[in-house]
Amino acid sequence: MNTNLKISNVTKIYPGCVANDNVSLEFNSGKIYALLGENGAGKSTLVKILSGVIIPDEGKIYLNENNLNLKSPSDAKKNDIGMVFQHFNLFETLSVFENLIIDSDEQRESLREKIDLIMKKYNFPIDLDIPVLNLSAGQKQKVEIIRCLIRNPKVLIMDEPTSVLTEQETSELFLSLKKFSEEGILIIYITHKLKEVMQLCDEVAVMRRGKLVSVSEIKNENIESLANKMVGQNLKTIKKKKAKTSSDQLIKITNLNFTSEDPFETNLMDINFSVNRGECLGIAGISGNGQSELFQVLSGEIISEKKSIEFNNNYIGDLNPQERREYLMAFSPEDRLEQAAIPQMKIFENVALNNFKSSNFFNNGLINENKIKEHSKKIISDFNVNTDNIELKSQFLSGGNLQKLIIGRELITSPDLLICFNPTWGLDVGAINYIHETLIKINEQNKSIILISTDTDELLKLSDKISVIHKGKLSKIMNAEEVTSEKLGILMGGAN
Amino acid sequence: MIKIVKRDQPSKAIFFFTPVLAIFLTLVAGGLIFFILGFKPFEALKFFFIIPIADKYGFSELLLKATPLCLIAIGLSFCFKSNNWNIGAEGQLTFGAIVSGGVALLFYEQEGFYILPIVILAGAIGGMLYASIPAILKTYFNTNEILVSLMLVYVSKLILDYLVVGPWSNPEGFNFPETRQFSDSAKLPLLFEGLRIHAGIFLALAAVVISWFVFYKTYLGFQMKVSGFSLKTAKYAGYKGKKMIILVFLISGACAGLAGVGEITGPIGQLHREISPDYGFTAIIVAFLGRLHPVGIIFASLVVAITYLGAETAQIFMQIPKYTGQVFQGMILFFLLASDYLLFFKIKFIGSKK
Repeated sequence: MNTNLKISNVTKIYPGCVANDNVSLEFNSGKIYALLGENGAGKSTLVKILSGVIIPDEGKIYLNENNLNLKSPSDAKKNDIGMVFQHFNLFETLSVFENLIIDSDEQRESLREKIDLIMKKYNFPIDLDIPVLNLSAGQKQKVEIIRCLIRNPKVLIMDEPTSVLTEQETSELFLSLKKFSEEGILIIYITHKLKEVMQLCDEVAVMRRGKLVSVSEIKNENIESLANKMVGQNLKTIKKKKAKTSSDQLIKITNLNFTSEDPFETNLMDINFSVNRGECLGIAGISGNGQSELFQVLSGEIISEKKSIEFNNNYIGDLNPQERREYLMAFSPEDRLEQAAIPQMKIFENVALNNFKSSNFFNNGLINENKIKEHSKKIISDFNVNTDNIELKSQFLSGGNLQKLIIGRELITSPDLLICFNPTWGLDVGAINYIHETLIKINEQNKSIILISTDTDELLKLSDKISVIHKGKLSKIMNAEEVTSEKLGILMGGAN
Repeated sequence: MIKIVKRDQPSKAIFFFTPVLAIFLTLVAGGLIFFILGFKPFEALKFFFIIPIADKYGFSELLLKATPLCLIAIGLSFCFKSNNWNIGAEGQLTFGAIVSGGVALLFYEQEGFYILPIVILAGAIGGMLYASIPAILKTYFNTNEILVSLMLVYVSKLILDYLVVGPWSNPEGFNFPETRQFSDSAKLPLLFEGLRIHAGIFLALAAVVISWFVFYKTYLGFQMKVSGFSLKTAKYAGYKGKKMIILVFLISGACAGLAGVGEITGPIGQLHREISPDYGFTAIIVAFLGRLHPVGIIFASLVVAITYLGAETAQIFMQIPKYTGQVFQGMILFFLLASDYLLFFKIKFIGSKK
């Protein structure tokens, strides 16, 4: 039977922003639809309305001409709308089977048969009786999908499903989605990744700032046209010039190990690498494979053996971040709001977090506010932070502006080495471009970068050398030209 | 149509206006309550807020009550500004009083200029020791400081109970639950003949000045602030975040302990069961009403101190239960939190769209 889902004039207003502005869309089964947009474009709000999590201020949802009037997620389930969220809603310590039956009223036995059938049909080989925490991200996602399939959904919504998957897992997912679509399930695929839209979908709806800007067939689009629609301006493409080959070694990591007491952290095992001046070393990997620990070891938040890190001919393994800054290292952590900056503090106070001796931010234990403010103004103008008020609390900066401020703060000392971790995570395309340009410029000035990122495209674009981290171990270091995203995907999945 | 719109940035004017608004709303609501109870609202409010401080004695009493509130609130502002929710100042006050009282009792037959400083110091140390318990548990064992500090209040009160009834009770005191009177050398000097206001007020004023300086002007204050907001950031910046948490608790404990000293070596002059009418809890209201700012805290402590006095006057002259004082304190906090909504949102009146 054909399924028709209609969104009619949906509006949702939050204080200070219109998340969905009079959005109308129509979907028919047999096709895979992409809902494309930058972060904050309103995709998630729309999806949450479809799944009953948010109630719209105005507008209606029709499924096969019936007004759904969704008031809660269980309403959506009753109406055969299934949803797989970006973040898994699974109980890690329960078994796969227990997770699957938790919100079902069917008999255990019949359900088990049903699940076995589903797994056979779609080739999902998962052991039902092991705890979920032993599964890979791809497998966990399959569990979430099975949980939807048990209910024979008419509509399946996938919210940014590939952010935690490897290249191989992604193509497996796409195969399954195509199969579901052939069987008459209406698929809505939410993403900001253009390549995936081109690979998977039949039709694409683009959202920008809460509004629907276009609906079109994929065959009439290409990556550039979609990107321009998504951003609303013509983007210039950046290209990195190949770095001058230098053999001047800046940092060398030797036999670095880290064993954590926290079971949720990853141990680092026998890390060895070196970076030359003017070089960008990219470290790829699926998140949770030791990137955060590696960053902390490199920044000095976790202290290691003195001789394990040699920087500019000094052994610095036992120094804390502040001391390492004196040797001209700089750090941009992944978490902008909880680590790199303090949202409740003013811009200039956040600038003072990067306190190095020659800055004179603090003299004899006293705050030198004028110096800090002067410095902050320079960062704001040098790094295009879109404000002129350094007294503004940084929570009022957009993610992109905050990241510019952080990168600016770290770079204004003109450090020899910048270590950054997912520097463009969650940013809009304009800000991403700016950050990428900045990073390329650093390399051109013969300064070095260690770029830890989960974004393969970013790594391929910016790195001179690439290594992959998997379960706390680094792969061998490869030249970026010899690497393809497929190859990275295989390494990220743990194969050799 | 009324619409609530998020402010781009909290307004500075509103930031200082909301405490005033809260006090005004408290008065209105208080008047209403008096009316419902069958009293004349204006007369009752007059007995509550004006009569008590109409003469010199009343004014001295106001300062007397405001002193511990101000001192504790200053200490608490260190904790609250750095997101450490120490709500056990009452316990730190009690324990400070116990330690300093113990020292004062050691010297009960002696005279000497050196006794008072030792007693005061002992009180500060006692408060610090007691505050270090939730601080250390929080930093090294991830316990929740709200629960730990609150529960320790009752522990300290029970310790005090035990001491004044048992080992420290006055041997010539006919089994009353109280210790001996302290010697004059262990008491804070009175400022004026016939009034109860004592030198403890200088401790409070010193605390105001020092706290302002430390928090707004020093690197140490900056590090405390950063560590309070995010330990991860503190670590990233290279600060010793855990030490900062312990430090703010120690400062807060010292202030509460000093407030305890002020009470027992000032108006009370001995240890007994009721050394504090919940100053440690009321000071939380004072700290927030004063916007965690040293100068704001001075004013807030005066305002809240009136509710203590007013409750007594109103009880004596109008037979209004003295617990109305606590009702007023509660209302101030309630209205303050409610009007803080205006900090982040503004109300817009817009014409109907259709």
